[in-house]
Parts: sequence; structure tokens; C-alpha cells
Amino acid sequence: MSEPANRRGAPKGGLTRRGLFRGVGTATLLGGCVDRTSTTDPGGHAVVDDATAPAELGPDRVPVRFTLNGESVEAAVEPRTTLLDALRLDLDTTGPKLVCDRGSCSACLVLVDGLPRNSCMMLAHDVAGREVTTVEGLSKGDELSALQHAFVRHDALQCGFCTSGMLISCAALLRRRPKGEPLTATQVQDAIAGNLCRCGTYPHVVAAVLEVASGKTERAGA
Amino acid sequence: MADRKQTLRLGFEGHLRKVDVTLPATEATPWDADSKLEIVGTEVPRLDGHLKVSGRAKYTFDVALPGMLWAAVLRSPHPAARIESIDVSKAEGQPGVKAVLAVAKPGDTLRFAGQDVAAVAAERPEQARDALALIEVRYTPLPFVVDTEGAMRDKAPRVHEAPITERRTEGDEPGKAKAGGMQGNVRALPPNERGNVDKALRESDVVHEATYVTQVQTHSALETHGVLVRWDGDQSMTVWASTQGIFSVRDEMAEVFGLAPSKVRVITEYLGGGFGAKFGASAPGSRLGFIAGELSRLARAPVKLMCDRHEEHVCTGNRPDSRQAVALGGRRGKLHAIDVVAHGTAGIGTGAGVGRNAFSLYTRCPNARVRAHDVFTNGGPGTAMRAPGHPQGAFALELALDELAAKMGVDPLKLRLDHDEHPLRSMQLRQGAERFGWDELRKRSAQLRSRNTRVRKGVGVASSLWGDFGRANAAVATCSVLRDGTIELKNGVQDIGGGIPTVIAQVGAEVFARPLSTIRVRYGDSDYGPSVGSGGSTTTSSVTPAVRNACEQARVALQELAAKQLKVPAGEVRWDGDGTAHGGGGSITFGQLCKKIDGEAIVATATRPATYGHEPMAFPGSKFYQIAGAQFAEVEVDTWTGVVRATRVLAVHDCGRVMNPLTLRSQINGGVIQGTSYALMEERVLDGDLGRMLNPNLESYKILGARDVPEIEVMLTEVHTGANNTGAVGIGEPATVPTAAAIACAVYDALGVPVRSLPITPAKVLEALGMIPGRPA
Repeated sequence: MSEPANRRGAPKGGLTRRGLFRGVGTATLLGGCVDRTSTTDPGGHAVVDDATAPAELGPDRVPVRFTLNGESVEAAVEPRTTLLDALRLDLDTTGPKLVCDRGSCSACLVLVDGLPRNSCMMLAHDVAGREVTTVEGLSKGDELSALQHAFVRHDALQCGFCTSGMLISCAALLRRRPKGEPLTATQVQDAIAGNLCRCGTYPHVVAAVLEVASGKTERAGA
Repeated sequence: MADRKQTLRLGFEGHLRKVDVTLPATEATPWDADSKLEIVGTEVPRLDGHLKVSGRAKYTFDVALPGMLWAAVLRSPHPAARIESIDVSKAEGQPGVKAVLAVAKPGDTLRFAGQDVAAVAAERPEQARDALALIEVRYTPLPFVVDTEGAMRDKAPRVHEAPITERRTEGDEPGKAKAGGMQGNVRALPPNERGNVDKALRESDVVHEATYVTQVQTHSALETHGVLVRWDGDQSMTVWASTQGIFSVRDEMAEVFGLAPSKVRVITEYLGGGFGAKFGASAPGSRLGFIAGELSRLARAPVKLMCDRHEEHVCTGNRPDSRQAVALGGRRGKLHAIDVVAHGTAGIGTGAGVGRNAFSLYTRCPNARVRAHDVFTNGGPGTAMRAPGHPQGAFALELALDELAAKMGVDPLKLRLDHDEHPLRSMQLRQGAERFGWDELRKRSAQLRSRNTRVRKGVGVASSLWGDFGRANAAVATCSVLRDGTIELKNGVQDIGGGIPTVIAQVGAEVFARPLSTIRVRYGDSDYGPSVGSGGSTTTSSVTPAVRNACEQARVALQELAAKQLKVPAGEVRWDGDGTAHGGGGSITFGQLCKKIDGEAIVATATRPATYGHEPMAFPGSKFYQIAGAQFAEVEVDTWTGVVRATRVLAVHDCGRVMNPLTLRSQINGGVIQGTSYALMEERVLDGDLGRMLNPNLESYKILGARDVPEIEVMLTEVHTGANNTGAVGIGEPATVPTAAAIACAVYDALGVPVRSLPITPAKVLEALGMIPGRPA
């Protein structure tokens, strides 16, 4: 047997992310919630003035308002609630999936102000005032996007549990691609490198994205 | 009605022949090589694709009911312990908590870290987890052993005091015989022997002996195991389950709660993967169904219990490991003896056999013997995982064959062709070798080795064998032709991701010559009629023949109706390509005809009989059709870093009649990708001192990502099997059997030295090259 790849893998009852939040004390955590400029997260940026932010949150449920798939929503959630749990449990938005709960599989991926983010690694209160797009927001009503159509046509899904996150990664790739520049298979693989799929859909995902990028479908873009 | 004789044209390209079969009178005439099909066999995108890509598909994990509670389970932190006391009182009355349950009792012995101890149901999942922390349990830790070799020692702690009952599921290979008694922690599985292996090894002029080791792999389906239970009164319930066996969930819940099975309805509309671990209402190492059902009964509210990722790794099953001592004898350039002694651990469970490969693939080798053993350890129980036993058996056998071939100075491909009696697999090996460029690539590997380059390339080949275990009378399908022209097909099968509803619709569209848009498939619900679990690669071959029989019977009724409308005898009615009926100079469109249906619908219900053929070859010792396959792999190895990349795989497979090439390629890609992942990355790591899993997550339990996927080419060799009326057999398992073996053979070809242990990590490569000292296994 080889050495364990990672000695930090914590046994149950050991160190967990939420346990850590509890352990460091509510004040520290709340500080993090209020002062959005302090985040080292590359996707994070301040959108609410400190003056308008609540002085203190929790520990009970507190309302948070943000834009979800183009609509303004409000949910009352505890400060410790992740964005993923708020979406799934409080906002009936179950497209993003809970799979690893620690940012290693991307099944919970959403766009926050246009950037792909693991919603299991963000607190719901951190998206106050921001724009969140889930897989449900990629289609316009019942009309699927070209990328979603291509996924179906190429059978880029089997069980479908990774598909929501895959689509968010691919949509983000297509949106940030310089106009008119062709994509390579390697670029698509890089874009979905964080999306784990157990059924083995990667080759068909790549084919679907390349087809959309080539503009050979009825409507290019994500 | 009496059985009837039918002549079918069966076999495969270049080997078609007429075969007489006896069919039950109600059986549709099987599709064979002469059948011209329009919709079956074409690339139909899965019909529920739009729901999965828009996030609207509701998986068990996504279903929410009014007043629903969330459960969480307290699990043993000890690999072996006796429970002295459990006090759940402090968890009661916590915020949101509605029910608390002690699952284990004082005096109970716990045998692995992760076993059920107690459970809570609360309004929110985090409230349930918080409350678990307040449950007080006193444990007396007991001696334990978690490594396979350690458990085989005389003085090792005993994992089980008494013989245990084997847990069987639909994922297991059918027809396994009963195992022998236990000696210490070791239990012998039924041996297989032909010829005289001991004598043959003495007669051999070349003998290769080595030990091959495989790791424990976890299924790691993305949707974890889980159930949602709602009591409907006190004598019936509805269960939403993340399961690959709806009816196995029904039966277990009925038994556990003393209900009539007909009073338990099970729904699995969408399923986030299974791979063999999701049968029954329990996970192999956790009584999920009982816990959720009991909490629901206590709280008088629906209760959802979904495992988290840690639980999914430790208590929901795994592929057992193996240590296989292999001896191969060669005599005059031929394979003369195969001897395998295997030991593996399925933790506290059973099923560490190494499959049929060593005994049943190279049947021209006159002497073969396989003796496998379960070794009990204090780990979570193993269970069926995609072709149970076969990938580990294939790895040891095929790599050993290549080592013997090298010692005998023969080409490994030729050695395989010389000893494989299956005509289709021989063709697959020959055609695959040509397509792959086998001869030139072997030469290239040898050149790179002789030049001692830093980056080496190598190629390997390995074979797949599996059976068509499609079940008779298990799936009952209903076909309703409705007055509005819709054809509704119903069966309580679940879709594990293979796309069975789409194939069902194709069969209906084919029989009625109607567009797919007019077919509605109802599935994923026990109310839609009996069906099989998605195990043993049997779904398509169990369900589609039943669907076809129901459709054909409804069509006969429709033909009689058409005859009445056209005023001709039923035998004179002719159907054209769009479902219009003609006769006596008149015609009536399908839509017009359906409006004439007396009542709401024409309804027919049917199943399928036992298999009636296996052209060209049977699965060893059975009447089942043998499914053949072979895979060729190319790898690139950096000899400075030890990193192995699988660069290319050619997968040559038979799956009987190709029902839908698009979804079929997806399944084969999946088999190859999982096999590559097993070969190069995945490994459950248990800490010998703590007895706990060190990587119960998805960042240090590595599964293959998009950048690690080889270029996969799929080559299909269609066979008209005569096994059932659609000719479908399975592919889910055959497609993953040979991948890791082919990759290991390719690494051997690249390096000139074998790596006899999976996963093939950089450290093992460098060790094999003598660049770093070996470590004790």
C-alpha cells in the first residue's frame, strides 16, 4: 500500500469546515460576512458599503437579498449557511448539486457576477446584492441555450449529476473566449478540469462545447 | 398455446448462420440479421436530456415534501468497539429536532469505523448534525485489523466471532456457489479447476510466478446513497430512493417494517449513479431505510436521509482489494497451466473473488485453477462494483500473461489468440490490433526502451468476458395505445444513467412505425409494474424484450380494429412507414384509427421468457450468451518522474444488437474512464493505527478528471445473438473489465519491467525502475 496521498483527510468528529467556523467564534465569522473587501477570494469584491451593511449577523436567520437567475430573491438564512444550501433548501433551486461539500468536484458550480464559483464554499450572506446564475438560468424559460442543446445532442451526460456544474464551467468558458477565436479540446478540458464526473462523460462534453464554439449550431454562444 | 419453431439468422459479420429456436407461442419473432429496423439502432439523444441539462430533473436528493425532516447518523469512530451505553436525551429538544433514535444497543459490537450508532431527524440538515454531537456514547475499544495481510496472520484479532450470512444483491454475478467455512479471518470461496495444475506446472518448460496486488476502490457515485420515507397511514409508505433496484428497496422496506410489499411504493425518477452499490433500502454498511423509516414513524413526518461524502466512502460499499499469487506454465510456446490463489478483503463483508477471467478466458489452456478467499478486516463492507471481481482478475492474469510471453519470446497478442476459443473475441483481437497499429507500436516501444529515452511509450491488450444474464419473467411491461394516438409504455425500471427509457421508446416507435414524439415512457416508479435492478448488465436485455412483446400484442389488437374499419380480414391489413393501415383498397391513418378505439385505450401487458439462444458462444457453464470484448491501451511514462499517462484506448466491444449507438458509446467511454481511473489513481487508504479512512473525500481520493482521459476510440462488433426478441445484451460491465489490465500491460511494455500493483503511481514506477528503494507493501 502506498503512503496516503493526504494526511489532512480528517476523520469524522475531527476538523470540518463548519466545525472550524464554529471553533473560531461567531465574531470572526461575522466579520468575514460583513467585510466583503477582506476576502482573498479572487472572485470576491465589495458590492455593499460598510455603512449599509448590518453591524452584526446571526446566530439566527437573517434575510439576505440577491439576484438569482435574473430575479431578485430574499432568503432568511443563518450566517453559517452556504450559498448551496440556501439555493437548495430555501430557494427551491436544486440544479446545483451537493456532492463533495468541500470545493473539490464542482457539481455545485454557479456563476457569481459572471464568474464560476463553488457554491458549497461560499456563505449565502456573501452574495448579498450580487448576481447568481445557476444551471436553471442558462435557459430562457423552456428554451434551452445552444450549449444545453449540444449537451443533449452529443449525449454529454449520463446520470446527469455532474451536468449542472459542467454546464456552468462550459458556459463561462464560452463567454470569456475572445470573439471569433476558435477553441481547442485542451482548452475545454482545462475549463472542466475541476468538474468530476463518475459516469465518464468528459469526451462528449468536450465534443459538445467544441461544436458550439465552432458556430456550426443554430445559435452560437452559451 | 404450443411452443413454435423459428429459424433465425444469427451470429456476426462473416459468421452468420441459420439457427432453429423454440419460442413460446406468445413471444414476438426475434429480430435477427435479416431484420431491417428504422429506429432501433439509430443515434437517438436521450429523451430526458432536456430535463437534466436545465436542472429540472429532480433526483432523490432534490425531492422536498411539505414538513419534511432531515436525518443525520452518528457513526462509530472506532474500527472495533463494544457499546457500553448510549444516551440520546440531550439531543432531544435541541433546535429543530423532532426525533432521535439509538440504532445500536449497549452490548453491541461495532466492527468498522463508520457503523451506525444513533440518528436524529430535524427540520434542517445542519440542526440534525448539531444534535448528533450531543449524543453520549461510551465505547470500549477492541483490537482490530484493517490490512488484508495482517488479518491473515494467526494472531490477528477476529473480525467476526461466528460465520456470517452472505449479503447478495442483483449486482452480483449470477450463479455463484456457496463459500466454505471460516479459518480465522479467512474464508475460502468455491474453487474452479480443470486438468491437473500441479502436474502441468511441473511439466512446463517456462514457469512465471509473481504476486499481483489491487487496491480497494469506492464506487463514488456523485449522488450519495439516500432515501426519503413518507408513511401513508401506518400500513403503507412511499419511498424516494437513490437506488439502482426499485423493487429491492420495496422488498427490504416491507420486510423491515412488516408491511405487504404492495403497500410500499418506491420512486426513483432520476438517479445520480450507482455502479453496483445501490441495491436495497440499506447501504451495504448502513441501515438507511430502517433509520429513515423509523425516524419518520417517530416524528410523524417525512424524513430524508442522504449520506455525506465521508459516509459514502466508508459505509456504502467498495470494490474489494486483492493479492493474487499467480503461476503460469508455458510449454513449447503454449500456455500449459494457470494457477491463481487470491486473497482479498471486502472488509466485514464478503465477495472478494477475482472473477471468471483466469478460469474462463483462455480455455485452450488445458490446466487451470482459481482459488479465491475472503479475508475479513475491520473495514466497511465491500459490495458488487461494476463487473465484480473481473477488473482485479483481469489485471493479474493479463499482466502475468505478458510476463510469461516475454520469458517464452512470443508476442502477447499471439499468445492470447492461440488460447481463446471465442470466435468473436478472436476477431475483435485481430481487427483491433490492425486498427490500433499493434505491430508497429510494439516495435516503437522496444526502440524507446533500447535507446533508454526519458519518455517511453508502451501498448497493451486485455480481454473482457461477461454474460448476458437478462432475466425471464422479471420485467413486466405495459403498452397502452391511447385514443389520442399516444403510445404509453410503462415499466418500473430505474435509469441508472444508461438511458433505458430512450431505448424503450425506440422499441415502441419501431413496432408501431410511429415517431418518437408520440411515445411516452413511464418509469422510475414501482407502480409502473415489476422490473429488474440495474445490475449484472441486464437492464436492456430484461426490459426491452418485455416492452416489445407488449407492443406487438397491442399492435395485433390494433390490427384487428383496423381490419374491422377497413372491412377486411385482419391478415390482409398492411401497415406503411408512418403507421397508416391499408386493406381492401382503403386506408386509415394511425390517428383516425386510434379515435375508433372502444374505451380509453388498447392495453397489453407482457414479459419475456428465458433466453433461447447464445450464438456464437455461451458463458462458461451456462445457457447464457457470452459477451466478448477487448481493449488496447497506449501509455506514456516519464521515467524521471514516474508519471504514467494513458494516451489512447481502443475499445472493441460486442453488445449484441446495438440499440442506440450514441448512448452506447457513452457507456463504453464510462467503462474505459473508470478503468483508467482504477489503474492510475484511485485508492482507499485506511490508517493501520486508527483504523479509519484517511481520504474520505474527492480531493485525496482521486478520480479521473477531464485532462487525464485517454483518446478513446470505440469499435462495435454487432452480434445477432438470438438471446431474446430484441437481441439486446449488456455493456455496462464488459466495458470496464479489461481497461486497467491493458494499461498495466502497456506500462510493462514501456518500461520492460512490470508494476504489479494498482494503482500505478509514480512511486511504484520509480520503484520498479530501481530508482527509489522499495517499501513494504
